Amino acid sequence: MSQGQDKKEAKSIACMKCQIPMELGKVEVFYLNNKFPIELLKCPKCGLVYIPEELAIGKMLEVEKALEDK
Amino acid sequence: MMKENYRTISNTSSICPICMKRLPARRELKGRDVFLVKECSEHGSFETILWKGSPESIDYQGWARPKIPSRPKLSFTEVQRGCPFDCGLCSEHRQHSCTVLLEITKRCNLGCAFCFADAGTKKLPDPDLEVIKGWFERVLLAGGPYNIQLSGGEPSLRDDLPEIIKLGKSLGFNFIQLNTNGIRLAEDPDFVKKCKIAGLTSIFLQFDGTEDDIYKSLRGRPLLNLKKKALERCVEYNIGVVLVPTLVPGVNVHNIGAIIDLALNYLPTVRGVHFQPVSYFGRYPEPPADNDRITIPEVIREIEVQSKGLINKESFKPPGCENALCSFHGNFILMPEGELRPWTKHEGCCGKVEKAEEGAAKARNFVAKYWSAPEKLGVSLGAGGGAFSLWDSFIERTRTHSFSISGMAFQDAWNLDIERLKDCCIHVMSPEGGLIPSVPTT
Repeated sequence: MSQGQDKKEAKSIACMKCQIPMELGKVEVFYLNNKFPIELLKCPKCGLVYIPEELAIGKMLEVEKALEDK
Repeated sequence: MMKENYRTISNTSSICPICMKRLPARRELKGRDVFLVKECSEHGSFETILWKGSPESIDYQGWARPKIPSRPKLSFTEVQRGCPFDCGLCSEHRQHSCTVLLEITKRCNLGCAFCFADAGTKKLPDPDLEVIKGWFERVLLAGGPYNIQLSGGEPSLRDDLPEIIKLGKSLGFNFIQLNTNGIRLAEDPDFVKKCKIAGLTSIFLQFDGTEDDIYKSLRGRPLLNLKKKALERCVEYNIGVVLVPTLVPGVNVHNIGAIIDLALNYLPTVRGVHFQPVSYFGRYPEPPADNDRITIPEVIREIEVQSKGLINKESFKPPGCENALCSFHGNFILMPEGELRPWTKHEGCCGKVEKAEEGAAKARNFVAKYWSAPEKLGVSLGAGGGAFSLWDSFIERTRTHSFSISGMAFQDAWNLDIERLKDCCIHVMSPEGGLIPSVPTT
């Protein structure tokens, strides 16, 4: 995923709750005590964040797999 | 007979430490402490501390990780007299192997006051390569390949150690660890190089502290400089190291924090510290009193206190492989600015029942991944910038700077709990080719 793709999606994705277009905004993702600041689509009204599939099954999964506990 | 202020939590079995007869036993709570209590009709009553609690430490009742038992894929012995007398493993065992220890020599170049293997006292010939090949094949027959630890005695005394490592590798054993006091590694760099080329993956280094008085007390001579030199060799040849202190009250418990600090200074070569609270089998000065022992909650508490709160007890959890009461572990990443960031996943706790064999597989993978040296890459990941550069540098940091702090409480004739024994996943190959729940040898 690239930031460019994010911007394209910004025009087409609406918040499912507020039904208004989502906008790119700064978001902090926390995972196992680690903070990852990133720009993601966010609802300007309720703050709901859209996590694109590429991020969920890409980088997030990569971090999850990098840390294999027993 | 129940004593005043004691409450029976659960029942198990044990043995008489004098005649070794199997006995019923009880886990009894008194205040925050838990004792194993048993009575032998001939030798009287025995009570041994299992868990020494305090308001600040982890509570015994909360330290659980229930498992659905997994029988060995192939049992080498039949059930006749019952555990622990049919060992090999028998079909009543409840866990697969995670690591198998091969004792490739009984010789030793130290004469420690405490030696779990009682090494160096009997002059026995070393098993030859054919015998060792038979042991490797036996592990495959039992369901392997599993992780291998070459142990002893002092296994580095064998000049053909590189051939033994090569043999294991050729038979499909990808994780081969050397359990050593490090003396030969310090003194013979060419030997270390040969072991590395042969495929040695990891070193389980006896490392009792950062003060020579500790070594004089436990090992009979000052060894700190040799230990450091051994570490430097491992840095030079990029072999992952786990520091293994045997914790003895009154000798080195005060040094836990300093050991962790030293280990962190050797990252990424040193991959973790694995504490072994002293057990009383093999060779030891005299039968133990309760204050000669240190239990899991006390070790975790000492880590917390001696790290001055940088490491806290919430970062540790019971194991998914062996019995919950046998060990603890916590995972961390040393961040560039020096912070030790915990990443222990607590998903396998809190009453959820897991399959024992899945726990064994996870433990094998964890050890193989986090107790080996990270591969040296030519390029630095995460340096390229972009939206995910922070994610990439974090992933790279997890690869190079993961660090584990763990401990394993072994058992002896006084505190032996047969339920724990049946859950054991670290097995030593007997000379006859049986797999016996293991004792440590550092």
